[in-house]
Amino acid sequence: MDNGLSGPMVWQRSLLSVACGLLSCTVLVVVWEIFGRNPENSVTQVLPPPSQFLPVLLESDFKIGLGSQSASIYQSVVVTLVRVSLGMAIAFVGSIICGLLISLSKWSELFILPILGLIAPIAPIAWVPLALVVFGVSNLTAVFIVFMGVFFTLTIATVAEIKRIPENLLMTAENLGGGSFNRWRWVIVPAVLPGVFTLLRLNFIAAWMAVLAAEMTGLRDGLGTVVMTGRNLFNSNLILLGICIIGITGFAVDRLLLLIQRKCFWWQV
Amino acid sequence: MEAQSHTAPHFSTTPLLSCQHLTKQFLEGKQVSTILADVDLDVAQGDFVTILGQSGGGKSTLLKLLGGFITPSAGQVLFHGVPLKGITPKIGMVFQENTLYPWLTVEQNIGFGFKVRGKKPAQYKKQVQDVLQQVSLTPARKRYPHQLSGGMKQRVSIARSIAVQPDVLLLDEPFSALDIQLRRRLQTFLSSIWEDTATTMVLVTHNVEEAILLGQKLIVIGDRPGRIIETVDIAEARFRDRYDPQFLDLQRHLEGVIEADVTFQGTLLPVE
Repeated sequence: MDNGLSGPMVWQRSLLSVACGLLSCTVLVVVWEIFGRNPENSVTQVLPPPSQFLPVLLESDFKIGLGSQSASIYQSVVVTLVRVSLGMAIAFVGSIICGLLISLSKWSELFILPILGLIAPIAPIAWVPLALVVFGVSNLTAVFIVFMGVFFTLTIATVAEIKRIPENLLMTAENLGGGSFNRWRWVIVPAVLPGVFTLLRLNFIAAWMAVLAAEMTGLRDGLGTVVMTGRNLFNSNLILLGICIIGITGFAVDRLLLLIQRKCFWWQV
Repeated sequence: MEAQSHTAPHFSTTPLLSCQHLTKQFLEGKQVSTILADVDLDVAQGDFVTILGQSGGGKSTLLKLLGGFITPSAGQVLFHGVPLKGITPKIGMVFQENTLYPWLTVEQNIGFGFKVRGKKPAQYKKQVQDVLQQVSLTPARKRYPHQLSGGMKQRVSIARSIAVQPDVLLLDEPFSALDIQLRRRLQTFLSSIWEDTATTMVLVTHNVEEAILLGQKLIVIGDRPGRIIETVDIAEARFRDRYDPQFLDLQRHLEGVIEADVTFQGTLLPVE
């Protein structure tokens, strides 16, 4: 049961973890800076320290790229984020609907699950060439790739979560007079949401990597393109800048998903 | 609490819930094992029937059959004189383990019976509030199940079942996971619910004291195969004092009946 004591304790613990995280990041940056101080050092050539690549951001007026192809750093971050969130949102909703439909009958499970099991392990990046042919160089390609990276795993997970629901919860709903549709809507869906959302969060990394790879290979904008522009211009400052933004944004989104999970899907069945 | 007599209202001669020659067999490996054999039972309107028996006997199976949760191998269950065709909201069930929905508050859990029938919250808000008041859970209405103690969880489960006003409420060892103090408090709670709502109740327990304390009619189920080995009508006496000599006599007698049944089963074992 909740009591008044647990509040401050939880708060203290999270403060401790934030402090430790910040400390270890600071140590990393300091060590990096010390190694990178000597401009002759080969490390500096390939891995310029933050004190060198961060000014690039200010000098370029937060714009990356040349001439008409340049895009602001905000735009790149937003474009990538929109692609990932859209792909994940569609996959999340779609996989729950498909999972529910598949678990309607024993036969659909027997016939459809093996196909999903075959498609699920395909690395999302492998879909890039195909997606480029079908959708062209567009946002749709990126969304499609994220979707393919997450959807099948989540659908399999939904089916597994439905099987895990205690029978008594379903029997009680039937006993209280619930028809099969209402039992789906008010028992099965809420019962599977937390488990599937946790898996979505774990799969976010895969989706994130997939969309960045797509941006590096085919698409012309987004965070992945920042890194590729750096490569094309032999500009290691730009590459490092891109890498850092990718890391920080990815971390922020993961925390955000964790927050959503704790606020909206906290229960355990 | 002093002794109190409760007269069950009899509207017709047809029992509310009854079963005839009820038998349930399961396949255990290649052997057919009979869990329940030839049980006849009448539950009248307003009755409180307790079914007493050893753990692992056929008493839970009997309750599930009476609720339409499983189908009998032979015999039939009659509800309002008509053969029962499966789970119905008119026969409520409270399980031993927690079946509250963890994502819903106490209030929402109690209103779940209405929600799952597609009613709008405005339509059942008043009823839920009344039930909350009746079971003294109004202060805890915004809490989630994980914030409740075991006893409170069972109170919510019972409240959720009576909220939809079933004709019969079946209770499958609802208090057996609780400690003795809490168990006694909930027994009193259940008794008062029965008196207030006049809902017919059938309770399964392995606790002799509980069976005598709550029941108007007490049925003892023997072990393997489950069958009725004793029926006691205690409607008149309606014991409320567990230290009453008559209460203790009955308790001793019933414990003896169960023990004799076990010994009888024990003598059969070497033959197997």
